[in-house]
Amino acid sequence: MADLSLPGSTAAKRTISWPRIPPVVAVAILWVVAMLVVAILAEAIAPYGVTKMDLRNRLSAPGNAAHWLGTDELGRDVLSRLIFSIRISFLIAFGATAISAIVGTLLGFLAAHFRGLAEQAVLMLADFQASMPFLILALAVLAFFGSSLPLLIGLMGLYGWERYARIARGLAVSATGQGYASAVRQLGAAPSRIYLRHILPNIASTLIVSMTLVFPEVILLESGLSFLGLGVQPPMTSLGNMVGYGREYIGSAPWIMLTPAAIITLTTLAVSLIGDWLRDKLDPTLA
Amino acid sequence: MARYFAIRIGRAMITIALVVTFAFVVLRLSGDPALIIMGPEAPPEVIAAFRKAWGLDDPIWMQYFDYFGAIAKGELGRSMRDGRPAIALVLERIPATLTLTIPALLLKLAIGIPGGIFAALHRGSLIDRAVMIGAVAGFTVPSFVLGLVLVLIFAVQLGWLPSGGQETWRHAILPVFTLGIGGAAVLARFTRSAMLEVLGQSYIRTASAKGVSWRAVVLSHALPNAAIPTVTIIGFMVGTLIAGAVVVESVFSWPGVGRLLVVAVANRDLAVVQCILLLVAATMVTSNLIVDFLYGFLDPRLRSREAAGAH
Amino acid sequence: MTAPLVSVDRLVRIYRMRTGMFGRPRGVCAVDGVTFSINRGETLGLVGESGSGKSTTGRLVLGLENSDAGSVAFNGSRLPAMDTPEWRASRARMQMIFQDPLGALDRRLPIAAQVREPLDIHAVEDEAFRTARVQELMRSVRLSDDVGQRYPHELSGGQRQRAVLARALATKPDFLVCDEPVSALDVSIQAQVVNLLIDLQAELDLTMLFISHDLRVVRQISERVAVMYLGRVVELGNADDLFVSPQHPYTQALVSASPAPGRRRGERIVLSGDPPNPAAKPSGCAFHPRCPSAFARCRAEAPALVEVAPDRSVACHLTGLESPAAVALGAVA
Repeated sequence: MADLSLPGSTAAKRTISWPRIPPVVAVAILWVVAMLVVAILAEAIAPYGVTKMDLRNRLSAPGNAAHWLGTDELGRDVLSRLIFSIRISFLIAFGATAISAIVGTLLGFLAAHFRGLAEQAVLMLADFQASMPFLILALAVLAFFGSSLPLLIGLMGLYGWERYARIARGLAVSATGQGYASAVRQLGAAPSRIYLRHILPNIASTLIVSMTLVFPEVILLESGLSFLGLGVQPPMTSLGNMVGYGREYIGSAPWIMLTPAAIITLTTLAVSLIGDWLRDKLDPTLA
Repeated sequence: MARYFAIRIGRAMITIALVVTFAFVVLRLSGDPALIIMGPEAPPEVIAAFRKAWGLDDPIWMQYFDYFGAIAKGELGRSMRDGRPAIALVLERIPATLTLTIPALLLKLAIGIPGGIFAALHRGSLIDRAVMIGAVAGFTVPSFVLGLVLVLIFAVQLGWLPSGGQETWRHAILPVFTLGIGGAAVLARFTRSAMLEVLGQSYIRTASAKGVSWRAVVLSHALPNAAIPTVTIIGFMVGTLIAGAVVVESVFSWPGVGRLLVVAVANRDLAVVQCILLLVAATMVTSNLIVDFLYGFLDPRLRSREAAGAH
Repeated sequence: MTAPLVSVDRLVRIYRMRTGMFGRPRGVCAVDGVTFSINRGETLGLVGESGSGKSTTGRLVLGLENSDAGSVAFNGSRLPAMDTPEWRASRARMQMIFQDPLGALDRRLPIAAQVREPLDIHAVEDEAFRTARVQELMRSVRLSDDVGQRYPHELSGGQRQRAVLARALATKPDFLVCDEPVSALDVSIQAQVVNLLIDLQAELDLTMLFISHDLRVVRQISERVAVMYLGRVVELGNADDLFVSPQHPYTQALVSASPAPGRRRGERIVLSGDPPNPAAKPSGCAFHPRCPSAFARCRAEAPALVEVAPDRSVACHLTGLESPAAVALGAVA
């Protein structure tokens, strides 16, 4: 029988070819990687502890040898606090993004699999979440429950789940309709196998793009809450916290407020740029 | 058409019901509501009376219905700080908030929409790039950072404008500007992509190939079609007229609803929090409904689809 | 004669559709009382236009959808309920191949992994056995070994269909339903795949239900044929006999429309009327609006499928009537 293989198909084509990255995106990636390194190696990098006070050097300006970024009103080293703040903020943002992605995808799959009432319930909850400003809901929860770190991560973890749920549900429904998922079901596969081994890997790229869009929003949300004094509580420090504290000294020592503000802005910008680029590359259908 | 509206109204009511349920659940989960709302120092008779009045000894589902009833009657508890009804506190702050959010909304519309349209029409030009950069900046710079930077520049360094409080009209300039710029950026980006999508459609090319002047094409074909998705996002902004200034009011110590909310959360003044939550929900739902109604009239596809009986 | 492997009795399947969220539910009857049986090692061809319900019947026979009435028996016992562990286990005994092989394959996985999947699902033997079996399967469908490392989109249509076939045969099923498996392929490839199916059937003693609208292909592969129209079987019998002398007016039209060497032009029967639409089924015999020989009774009463000769059943009021004169008089037999 004649070999009907297509000409030119060799195993070599399977290697991943790195796409050309625009310079802006490359810088953004470097920034994010740098932030991650800082967050992970915080203890090793920070010159001082977060609460260590150097009362003789209060409100010293940046640029001196002992404190590269100056000190705050209690003599605490701004650079060290900044480093640890990056860690906390990233921790919350990653945790929250992961939680909302998992919860959202799971609910989306449940809605797609069981259809009927379950689907309606999930869609209704998704509508509800999308229509209320999250900040208000978050503030209400914080008012009732207080602001411990696990609660904060859990609360932020409810941000954006509806986006994943809609995507997961939509793609799962179309996969099970006429496609490979129904073929595998027909082979005798249990639903867990179908979802985990077939549907999830196929929708992973779309979900990842959504995650890069949600991540900066979580950072903004958390820093807003911390700025208001309702997010991360002392002695822990977060970027929003620092801005909040630095506000009183905006005239005398603006660097206390400006450095964390700059980090927030640049990180949000970097992740957004990466997310936009990824979306153009992987899934132009996401608006 | 009637079915379209019936569905929308049904959804709106479900959203309100969900918000009330949310408040109820959170309230119950966080401890004894009587203690929480009345405060730990309230005398035992007051607590007992509260429990009786709110039926806290009844089965939970009955409490749920009673809660609904109370909300409907407007009994939303009293503020712990000064004992006044929560509703009164909130209502008296609304004008202050609106003083900021309404001008800010106008600013957003005035800058965002023309900016977005212009950028779409002159795609790739310097203006387009400027608008896009501005839009990205507006999105990534958090409102409190923007506000504080503006304070730093205009109040501290230049001394032109005051940095906080509500005494004169000049106190409103920076907060309005802060609110407006951020929203303008979002609106510009959105309008631009809506316009671009519409401009890429084949009926636009057909119209201009027929010899219709570009200006007429834009005015009578592109804009009306791009208006439809834009209306949604404007609707969302209108819905946040009360809730959208939480952070900015705190930055500028502006005594509006947002500031009240933050203080109430910090003090765990739950009656006030609950009241604001419900008020915001009502506002959002109403504005979404209005947007839906407008859609029903604006988008002819919805009108004829309903007539054809499809869903 | 041993009992048939697959036995279908008065199957009914009604799709309920709702017009919008508040609309009134309507029922569209896709399969309306279908009865046939398939003997072990035999191929039954199922022929009909789109809308005839043949694909739905194929799914019902495998238990991929629940019927609203009637029953399906496999090897003497009823099929287990859908999505139960017993049902999943029974998949190893019966399988399906589809019209669109690309849609049936996961684009992210190489072919060998997909052919192997049924063995993993049903936990067949061990790792080494499964690897060897995959190679054996690939060879039996005449795919070279390196194809196993490729992805579905890198293969041609014929190769994909053979991959799907290999996957379907992994657990050595007794029964295979083929739903338009060659309709999307080029004509030259069609012949290859059909020949492959015939060879495999002989090798593996497969029982097949071959669904298609293409009479030539069906004739090539089937021992017996059932012709469906709007959810009912209108004629059933030995393939060669049926195509040489069709009894039902619909079958006659179908046969005359398909080109065959030696048949003169001008003998074509062209049907009038609207194409079959299951949502708007005519009363009585569903074919009567288009039937050149219809008479009064046809509109009033649906004919039953009756055996008119050994190994031939027809559902038509015309058969069993003595003479054309009786027909002309509109006599009720």
